[in-house]
Amino acid sequence: LVVLPSPLPRIRALLQRCWGRLERGLLPGLSGGQNPPWGPALAVQAPAFLPQPANDPSESNEAPRLLDSILWMAAPKKRRTIEVNRCRRRNPNKLIKVKRNIDVCPECGNLKQKHVLCGYCYKKVKAETRLIRLEIQKKEGGPFNTPTVETVVLYDGEKPTEKDEGKRIIERARKRPSWFVQN
Amino acid sequence: RWLAAGSLFPLSCIHTSTSLQKLGKWEKKNRVVYPPQLPGEPRRPAEIYHCRREIKYSNNKMWYLAKLIQGMSIDQALAQLEFSDKKGAKVIKEVLLEAQEMAVRNHNVEFKSNLHIAISMAGRGKYVKRIRYHGKGLFGIMNISRCHYFVKLVEGPPPPPEPPTTGFDQAKEYVQQLRSRTLVNTL
Repeated sequence: LVVLPSPLPRIRALLQRCWGRLERGLLPGLSGGQNPPWGPALAVQAPAFLPQPANDPSESNEAPRLLDSILWMAAPKKRRTIEVNRCRRRNPNKLIKVKRNIDVCPECGNLKQKHVLCGYCYKKVKAETRLIRLEIQKKEGGPFNTPTVETVVLYDGEKPTEKDEGKRIIERARKRPSWFVQN
Repeated sequence: RWLAAGSLFPLSCIHTSTSLQKLGKWEKKNRVVYPPQLPGEPRRPAEIYHCRREIKYSNNKMWYLAKLIQGMSIDQALAQLEFSDKKGAKVIKEVLLEAQEMAVRNHNVEFKSNLHIAISMAGRGKYVKRIRYHGKGLFGIMNISRCHYFVKLVEGPPPPPEPPTTGFDQAKEYVQQLRSRTLVNTL
């Protein structure tokens, strides 16, 4: 079994310890400007530029910034009580609002929203359209065989009129549905 | 066989709850039988208790739907649930339709629209703990939560909503409380 590292709070402590060690490693370099253990105590007035102080300001600024930012991450101070939680969760703006745009469809009598098509009627039309499309597929036989003329759907006992002269005729073996008006 | 059972193993005669799972309290509420009403009493409205157990949905999220439904007539409740986008809405709609069916068939309710929802509650079901894998080899423990849904339908139109308490009413109540104070442990 692989021992998985434990979740976040211990990771934070681990990271803090790592950074602490890094900082202690850097400290001799950080304090190099004041007490260099190896560098000579220069009596000369020229500024003692060790190679490290050039890097030190940037590093000494970066490490505390990262360490501080880890310490100053937003974290909850106290546990939120169930009373406070309830006030937030049951606030009226979070409750589901009652919909007032529900009507009755005049065609089928099911419920529908005012700005949306009736679901039942839509399914009815969709089913019929699917059957018409199956008929079309049977007639065409394959892809890319669509003729460049209009299509007319005729049901049981209907004859093509003068207007349907040059059009492709699709036969459906059932009575014309009431909602499919013939032109 | 019953002789041997009675003499040797007295405890083996206890019913075990293997058949049909143990009935919960809510299911047993439908079995209450009241004594026949006297001629002068007002008619007791029919009450139908129904519930569904172990729905794969969160308890907290189901509560919002249960709160929406509370106190509505059954038709209005079904309309609201039909056009709600929540997963629990579909489940609650099925439960309500089942309960309506039960009411008409078994509980002598005359009109299926003459019902309103007196109590609608969501309860916590059995949770299962699973591991949710994060990046960097970290893991969290996730709860697969289930809930129960309970509903009580009562015959009759829904009760009118209470008017919200005004400041004047609250002040009157306060004054009433002050006036009804008495001295304790005195003559």
